Amino acid sequence: MMIQVFLSVMLAGIALLVGFQGTTSRLLKAVILGVIAFGAFLLWTPETTDRFAEAFGVGRGADLLLYVWVVITLALIVFLYLKLTTLSRRITQLTRAIALAHPRGEQRPPEGSDR
Amino acid sequence: MPSTYAAEPEPDTWVVVAAFNEAPEVGRSVAGLRALFSHVVVIDDASGDETGAEALAAGAVVIRHPVNLGQGAALQTGIDYALCRGAACVATFDADGQHHPGDLRRMLAVLREKRLDIVLGSRFLGRAEGIPPSRRLLLKTATFVTNLAAGVSLTDAHNGMRVMTAATARRLRISQDRMAHASELIAQIRRLRLAMEEVPVTISYTEYSTGKGQKMSNSLRIMLDLLTGWLLR
Repeated sequence: MMIQVFLSVMLAGIALLVGFQGTTSRLLKAVILGVIAFGAFLLWTPETTDRFAEAFGVGRGADLLLYVWVVITLALIVFLYLKLTTLSRRITQLTRAIALAHPRGEQRPPEGSDR
Repeated sequence: MPSTYAAEPEPDTWVVVAAFNEAPEVGRSVAGLRALFSHVVVIDDASGDETGAEALAAGAVVIRHPVNLGQGAALQTGIDYALCRGAACVATFDADGQHHPGDLRRMLAVLREKRLDIVLGSRFLGRAEGIPPSRRLLLKTATFVTNLAAGVSLTDAHNGMRVMTAATARRLRISQDRMAHASELIAQIRRLRLAMEEVPVTISYTEYSTGKGQKMSNSLRIMLDLLTGWLLR
């Protein structure tokens, strides 16, 4: 019971944060709030997740949630890593452009060349 | 130095040197190169020491990255610069004093004579003076893995000495900013079916260069970089 109240307060807090977030699009807000509402529903009706879990051949609902959580987290890490790499490629292009705009020592006539 | 019999410096080849915190050696490397090549460009990869000033004083054009990117990125910056200055051939060379500029001239001669697209230096066809046994093992293993992955049979896949034509330099594109660029280049050479040959060179290991070289622990990072690059290709 305690944990259900605690987690519900946390979810409500997150929902408020998302609700007052000015930059997020309405559609995204609706999706996030929907996910939060679904989470609250599962929180107060543990037998729902248990039934889901049974359908997937997992013993308890909480275990099913844990497995799904692990998969989502791993996917997020890979996604973020690829995103970071793309970002660092852009930084490389930017750095290169800045560097190439400021060469030093160009004026000197090359050694052994009469041009 | 008696220069009477010295060959004229190469007028249309640009030598690209990537340097990060190489102030103690970069001046000597550039001076050696400048005796044989008219054009040397040093990419100072946001060094914290006097690398840029030393290279400039020794007669190189110096381009400084505002932030540190890594050796692969620095080489690509230098190649871009050389191409935009109208280089006919582009060479790469290490800043840490391990390489010998004369080897680069011989590689250039082979490139021209045999009308190749690219020539790579090989310390295992040539000599690796004072190479620590652990380094030899690491390089041999890395070469084996690169050969396997790229479907080639090189003797030294991670040599910093390369000479290529401008046309080749335009076709190759280093997207691996850090140390994975060596394997990346070989994969590209293979994919583009470039005419390539390895030429024996001498690498002289010193306490300084060994301290700055690649460690075993970097191999994992390199493999991760290659995997990411492959995913994002």
